[in-house]
Order: sequence, then structure tokens, then C-alpha cells
Amino acid sequence: MNEETFSDEILMRFADGELDPDTVARIEQAMEIDDRLVTRIAMFIETRAQAQAALKPLLDEPVPEKLVAAVEQMIEAKRAGEKTEASVLPFGGGRIAGPPSRSQWMLPIAASLAAAVVGGLAGYWAAGTNERTPGGLWVAGVIRPALAQALATVESGKEIRLAGISDRFRAIATFRNDAQDLCREFEVDSQDRSTVVSVACRSGDEWRVSFAVVAPGDAGGYAPASSTEALDAYLSAIEAGAPMSAEEEGQALDEVRRKDRK
Amino acid sequence: MPEKTDRVQDQLIAFLPNLRRFAIALCRSRDMADDLVQRACERALANEQRFEQRTRFDAWMFKILRNLWIDDIRRRKVAGPQDDIDERHDIAGISGEREMEARLALNSVAQAIGELAGDQRDVLLLVCVEELSYKEAAEVLAVPIGTVMSRLARARKNLAEATGISMAPTRSAVTKGASK
Repeated sequence: MNEETFSDEILMRFADGELDPDTVARIEQAMEIDDRLVTRIAMFIETRAQAQAALKPLLDEPVPEKLVAAVEQMIEAKRAGEKTEASVLPFGGGRIAGPPSRSQWMLPIAASLAAAVVGGLAGYWAAGTNERTPGGLWVAGVIRPALAQALATVESGKEIRLAGISDRFRAIATFRNDAQDLCREFEVDSQDRSTVVSVACRSGDEWRVSFAVVAPGDAGGYAPASSTEALDAYLSAIEAGAPMSAEEEGQALDEVRRKDRK
Repeated sequence: MPEKTDRVQDQLIAFLPNLRRFAIALCRSRDMADDLVQRACERALANEQRFEQRTRFDAWMFKILRNLWIDDIRRRKVAGPQDDIDERHDIAGISGEREMEARLALNSVAQAIGELAGDQRDVLLLVCVEELSYKEAAEVLAVPIGTVMSRLARARKNLAEATGISMAPTRSAVTKGASK
């Protein structure tokens, strides 16, 4: 009789109860005569049990009162009604062409967000020196070459100075939105002004800014928490996927650059 | 829309211990974990209407928290060199890390989990500790279910090796493990 061999993954699925009944039956049969198979399965059962036991104390640990109070307060504020809610407007308002689901988003944001200054973004870059006019880095969501180039080349975690402008550009993350468009989260700060926390997504063959918050900054290098809260809410709203690994990002950006060259 | 969104609000407090455990395991610092949990709750509340009743609440929360954490790592990696030492101390949670290590010193399995590669650790936490299904874990991690399985199998082999949990030295352990 041919002894059937089972892969580790199959045995793990068996141990985790994630296997179809037929295969389960075959494994159970094989276990009767194959001790090594039993040992291999036991490893998966054992590691699960041990991992659970090891982290059980963390679950039993009392949650700090401060944290509970903070969350309770947030829930209260939320329940208290819509009066205190502010709305963060999407960049460019209705000017961004695209699916309505993305341009229409409105966020119910608690009072804590009031610190994030939002608005006047179209004029933000334009207000600078002459070479930035008209429109600076982006106009109505369409991105200028220097920024587009940075978006297509700078890997997340790296910072550069934008060509021709002295603004610092930091790539934070790359991910896909609910429409599977490639998106990049980034920050730009200029010497004289504050940091802009922003998200741009590929739309056809170009990048479009879909979100931007001006973080009132001390040019200290990164955006204060209040503006990243707005960002978090936005990312959640577009159902942003998990940030890509460096490898995935490299491939995605390669593709963008290939298209740009055409 | 607000009428039918009570669920997240109602479940949040009761879920804090789990969410916090997951956060501590991710960032290995209680201070950072508490901050992360708070922000995850804030984001969840702001997006309550996005929560679909057919998804598991815990999976949804884990996903929010983990994405925040990944974002933090990226941000910190960038910001790091510009910080002064005091700031870096806070941000990197140096004291928090020591505290965690001290508290877990007697728990070699927990330590071994903490030493797993991030990818493997996350899937182990979600499936083995928080008891999500493979499919739910795949959704939280935004990876295919096959990836969940290969990472999880590797995580458990590594954990078994690190902690001396008995396992058969099989050929497939080498070939299968290396092939993916």
C-alpha cells in the first residue's frame, strides 16, 4: 500500500480544524499506523495551545483606567450627537474627477481633530514664491512633475528634496485602495511652512492627490498626531489595504515608472 | 446612518483587553500599546458606518490597529534620525521594551513569539492566540489565504524549535518550509 504523504500545511489545517472532511478522514486513517505523522500534528496542536497560554496573562491584565476613560469619553462624545462634529473636506472638493465614492467622503471627526488645519489647499503651494505659481505642486488634485517623480521613485521610509524646490518629501507607505488603485501616503514640508500629510493615488496614468491635511508645524520633521488622525480616518474610509512590503512596493513602483516612460 | 451604527460603540469597551494584548504583542511596549489602542478606537468610531455586520468585530479592530502600527513604524523610521535623544527615547519606547522583557522573562514562549519575524508573529497572534480563522486572518493582513497558511506553518515550526516543543525532524520540514 502506498503511504500517503501529507504536507506540513495540510497537517496544520488538520490541527486547526480548517480542512475538508475527506482529507480529515484520510489523515485520521493514516495516523493509526504512522506515529511520525501523529508527532507532526501534535507540534501544531501544541504550539497553538502554548502560544495561547503564554499570552493569556496579558489578557487578564487590567486595562489602565486612563485608557478605558479615554475610550469611554470618545464613545460618549460620539453618542452626544452630531453637534460637535467637524468635517474634513477632501482636497479640491468637487474638482477631483473620479468615482463619487471617493470624492464624496465625509468624516465625522471628534473635537480632538480641530487642531488639524484643513482647507485652502489649492492655494497652499501657490502662495509661495513665483516659480511655484501657478499652482505649485498640484492643482485640483493633479500633480506636478517633481512630485510625480518622487512618488514613482522614493521608497517608503526615505526622504528626498524635491527637484527644483527645496521642500522635503517623505514617502510613508504604499498601499491599494478599495478600487485597487495604487496609492502612496507621503508628507511634504517646506522650510517656511508646515507639513502637508497627503495621499495620492494612481488614476489612469497619473497621480492624483486625494487627501491632504496641512499640519501646523514647527518644521520639526513630522506631522503632529491630530493630522494623522484625520489621515487614519481617511485611510479607513477608502478601505486602504495594509502597507505593502518593500518588495511589493518596488514592483508596483517599477510598473508605474514603466507606464510613465511610455 | 447613525441609527444602525451602535454596534461598534457597544462592543469597544469589552474588547479593550484583547485589543490591548494584540497591541502589546505587536509593539512590545505597554505605553505604545495603550496609545495605539486609543487611536484604533478613535478610528473605529469615526468609521463605524463602515463596519459590516457580517465581518467579525474583533478582526475588524485588529486590522485597524495593525495598519496604524505599520504606519507608525514607517513614520518613525523616517522621523528617527531627525529627533533628539529625548524624543527618540519616547518614540522608540526603549523603557517600554525593557519593561516588557522583564515582565515576560519567565515566559519563554512569549519571548519566542516576540522574536519571530513580524509576518509570522502577526499571523500566529491572530490565528492561534485570538482564534481567527485563516480566512479572517487573511482579511486582516490583506494577504492571500495561502500566504497565511505558509507563514503560520513556519511560525509554528520556529516557535517549536525555539521553545523545544517536540517535533519530528521530518524531511518535509526542510523542503516544504524552504519552498515557500
